[in-house]
Amino acid sequence: MTTTRTTTYPGIAAVLVVSAIVGVLVGLAVTAAEPVPGLPEPAVVVRVGLPVVRVLLDMAAVTTVGLCLLPLLIGFDRPKLAEPVLVGARRVAMLSALVWAVAALVALVLQTAELRPGKDVSAAAVWDYVGTVGAGKALLFVAAFALLSFALSLWSVRVGESVPAELRAAVSLFALLPLPVTGHATNWRWHDLTMISMELHVMSAAAWTGGLGAVVVLLAANRTLLAHALPRFSKLATICLVVVALTGVFNGAVELAVNPHTPLFEALVSTRYGVLVLLKLGCLVALAALGAKIRWRLLPAITAHRGTALVAWAGVELAIMGLAFGFAVVLTRAPVS
Amino acid sequence: MRALGRGLAALAVAAVATISLAGPALAHNQLVSSTPGDKASVSTGPSTVELTFDQPVQAGENLNTIVVVGPDGQGQWQSGKAVVKSNVVSVAMRPLGPAGDYRVGYRILSADGHSVSGEVKFTLTAAGTGTPAPADEVAASSGPAASGADEGGVPVWVWIAGAVVLLGAGVFFALRVGGGQT
Repeated sequence: MTTTRTTTYPGIAAVLVVSAIVGVLVGLAVTAAEPVPGLPEPAVVVRVGLPVVRVLLDMAAVTTVGLCLLPLLIGFDRPKLAEPVLVGARRVAMLSALVWAVAALVALVLQTAELRPGKDVSAAAVWDYVGTVGAGKALLFVAAFALLSFALSLWSVRVGESVPAELRAAVSLFALLPLPVTGHATNWRWHDLTMISMELHVMSAAAWTGGLGAVVVLLAANRTLLAHALPRFSKLATICLVVVALTGVFNGAVELAVNPHTPLFEALVSTRYGVLVLLKLGCLVALAALGAKIRWRLLPAITAHRGTALVAWAGVELAIMGLAFGFAVVLTRAPVS
Repeated sequence: MRALGRGLAALAVAAVATISLAGPALAHNQLVSSTPGDKASVSTGPSTVELTFDQPVQAGENLNTIVVVGPDGQGQWQSGKAVVKSNVVSVAMRPLGPAGDYRVGYRILSADGHSVSGEVKFTLTAAGTGTPAPADEVAASSGPAASGADEGGVPVWVWIAGAVVLLGAGVFFALRVGGGQT
């Protein structure tokens, strides 16, 4: 459909999604608990399906956010050069927003099913879940915002960049917000702080991962645009790295600290939640190292319009980000035990 | 640089929106204590089992389950359904039977919408005269309930298949509409 062929690296995006699913499965294995005798267990399709759908939801969200940020990263001073890339970006953003909305609705059905093991799910039961459980309302809001993001992208596919990129980016970031509110964050006296910290964590992680994915997949073959966008992204990524690290450590420590059974540092290694926190911390350290490599070794060559091995390095970075997202999905649901 | 500023502005707007939206206190529940206590020994069967959590448990029909399994690993000894009172979930007990280990399994719904399950054990040192709950009562308290809300339910995979079809239709529609661009 696009008249100008642009070289892209869609395989890199696949790396992100696959590693996210791997992360979920590893996380599930780490947190696997013995079934309690006498209690009906949710069906396998629910137990495994729910985290997988949640990670697909996250990946669709990250993709949408990244693609909506892309016009801001490229800037508006080279419309001729940027337009062929942005045409594709808008189209994919539209589709990923749609996947996002549908994944939220599927997650809603699966969470309803999780609560009623051994039973079929009726529309009334889903509605009942939305009525009684905060997470149900949150998923409904996510679906609504994702559909709004879809509508904006659809509009921009038709009329181009006259739809403000800021608006699209803001709507997509906004749609990230409802879910963390219903996650773990505790209701002890620092509750409001943990809530805000959690939201910042999610938004930064999404902007960081999505931005990197969008820049590498769509711009890596275009040296001029890359030389424009990557330094901007690099600044954004540095901010995101710092925010993700601070908020992540803070929230993990709070969640472990309020555990009434085990002291903080013991809980870190002795609880399944603690192990996941350590795994994510490991991911973060690796990401910081890779980010530093790209920032100080590759970026100077890229701004000088020379070819680099950016795709390979960024691919590794995205794979680790995917793992971290997979762990995160399990982490938000894992009890501290 | 201007574009980056605009991007950060968008982030800032979203962040402010978050803070103003920050919802009610929601948390993941943990078992704090129980009666009888975990790994406790009792000489006579308790009339109720109480589980105390650190935060209120979401009350609602069929959302919270307590099952007490006897030494044979089969018979169930709870009587009726679990009752939620703020952060305490309890269930009435039948008179216990043979001496040995009893396992109290629970699945409750915490305020954040995650279900939390686990178990505590206690040991009955002197045999009682009770008998386990008959099978139909067990089915009523933990098995599929025939409540009105469940009528017309379909298996989960039907929902998923429906969602995939919906997604396919959406993609088709979107590409048709979007493809109208010249």
